[in-house]
Amino acid sequence: MADAPTLKLVTPSPASPPRRRTPLPRKPTRARRVVSVGGGKGGIGKSLVAANLGIELARAGRRVVLVDADLGGANLHTCLGMEQPRKSLSDFVEKRIARIEDVVVPTQVPNLGLIAGALDHLDAANPKYAQKMRLLRHLLALDVDYAILDLGAGTHLNVLDFFLVSDHGVLVLVPEPTAIENVYRFVKAAFWRRVRNVVAVYGFEEPLRSVMGDGTFRSPIQVLRGLSEVHPEAARTLEREVQAFRPRLVVNQARTPQDAELGHAVVGAWKKYFGLGMDYLGHIEYDDSMWRTVRARRPLLLERPDSPAAQSFARIAARLVELDGGELEDGR
Amino acid sequence: MKPLSEQTLYEILEVPDDAPASEIEKAYQRVRALYGPGALATYTLMAPDEMALLGRRIEEARSVLLDPGARAGYDARLGSGTPQPQAGRTDDSTPSVQATPVTAFVAPEAPQPAAPQALLARPAATPVPLRSRPAANGAALPPPAPAPTPLPATPPFAAVAATAVPAPPAAAAERPGAEVPAARPPDRQVFVPEGGRWTGEMLRRAREGRGLTVAQLAERTKITRHHIENVEAERLAQLPAPVYLRGIVMSVARELRLDGQKVARSYLEHVAAALGQSR
Repeated sequence: MADAPTLKLVTPSPASPPRRRTPLPRKPTRARRVVSVGGGKGGIGKSLVAANLGIELARAGRRVVLVDADLGGANLHTCLGMEQPRKSLSDFVEKRIARIEDVVVPTQVPNLGLIAGALDHLDAANPKYAQKMRLLRHLLALDVDYAILDLGAGTHLNVLDFFLVSDHGVLVLVPEPTAIENVYRFVKAAFWRRVRNVVAVYGFEEPLRSVMGDGTFRSPIQVLRGLSEVHPEAARTLEREVQAFRPRLVVNQARTPQDAELGHAVVGAWKKYFGLGMDYLGHIEYDDSMWRTVRARRPLLLERPDSPAAQSFARIAARLVELDGGELEDGR
Repeated sequence: MKPLSEQTLYEILEVPDDAPASEIEKAYQRVRALYGPGALATYTLMAPDEMALLGRRIEEARSVLLDPGARAGYDARLGSGTPQPQAGRTDDSTPSVQATPVTAFVAPEAPQPAAPQALLARPAATPVPLRSRPAANGAALPPPAPAPTPLPATPPFAAVAATAVPAPPAAAAERPGAEVPAARPPDRQVFVPEGGRWTGEMLRRAREGRGLTVAQLAERTKITRHHIENVEAERLAQLPAPVYLRGIVMSVARELRLDGQKVARSYLEHVAAALGQSR
């Protein structure tokens, strides 16, 4: 992308002069936001959702970095219509490049940068704990409005941890039993990992173990009930912390009105059963132009901005910004 | 955070506390389609007994909230802060719906307008002391009012299916070219499509009424022939998991110009009941 404009979001070292602001009138967001896009199952469009969401937000004037955190199967650059960039996440993980800002490469969309996934060595899929923590710390400190992480499939702890540190954990779902099954497995795994993290931080392992002892518990509500008997304070803390666990939901490849309704149904079922909330961001209409543009290795929003799927992305991006208390004005 | 057994009937139906009856009926249809047997959204989320509990609470919500007298009583208890006794019982970790007093408002022996239905065996409904509703209120209830299910092991909608009236509109379906059952005014009865449950036999008649062979139907729906045959013959052991079965029945029903949602729901309830009996 030789003709791509230079990215304006890379923070220079403190000594250098302040960087030029983008000319677009831009409402400052409340704070930096980290969005991760997951969902357990492979092939449901996580990367496409991440890429198009990034493009949409960038075109509305937000500074966005897309991070290909699919450590074992990076392909976000392809979704953006780019060649494999020279710099990638593994340069940072392996400390060949010290600052994460320096592995960001510009894309053809102004305000949108990409941290390409690790392709060059096979071990990148299994970073050591310290490497993962360093990566997370630096990602959270990126000077952008939105960092969007494209997660891999499965419920590997790396994937769950990226999901849990995000401000918006977005679950992608397609209206098929297999995807539903995987999304529930994913969200349950993420939930219990969050519980374990909270309990470890506050030192409530012992009371929780006494409650969960035989492993016959069913739902978090039961666990909290049990916990409140042996350790009321632990139960209150845990309840407060798990209430903050609020995944966002996107239904991809919606073909019928029932498919679009599925998002509400999952939110309702989750609430009924787990007693916890989810936010439904909306559905993406099944659209032939979607796979056509993938075939042509061109992002949908750039190639076919008027297609139904592209308009779905606009709604979803607006909803996401709304959850942050902002408003998405059209920067185009 | 409230477990299923303690959520109010309004929360179960996802309606505001002051929702009018028409909205409650609509909400009931909606939550049944969304969370009933074979629904996509609950697939692998809950254990079977929790699914059964949800099914019972949905039925309970409908029968209580659509009966003005029962609803007033329920609202009064909600307002007084003691909606259900087990709300305060933290020691009870196993939700027991039969202990919920609201079931007392579902009066199974309430006067039913349709006599033949009253004759049908209502197997599990032991006449526990219940406040019997005045006839006017009983008539407001749809005929197949769900009996409170005393056994927690009862499959989700078995109680409903068992009280449904199997009166296949044989005449309508067998007349060639005649409109198949669901094409008749579908909204008269809410539980059962006109003329009874959608069994495999009914689906076969509907298909034959349209002059289609199994092979033709398979060709049109892209569903393999043996699946269609298993559905029609109700070979329970060979049927796929409900979530897939629902998709199959819906496609078949749509191809036969029937209301896919309703037929699939009815068929799945029928199968669930049959499975419950054979167990």
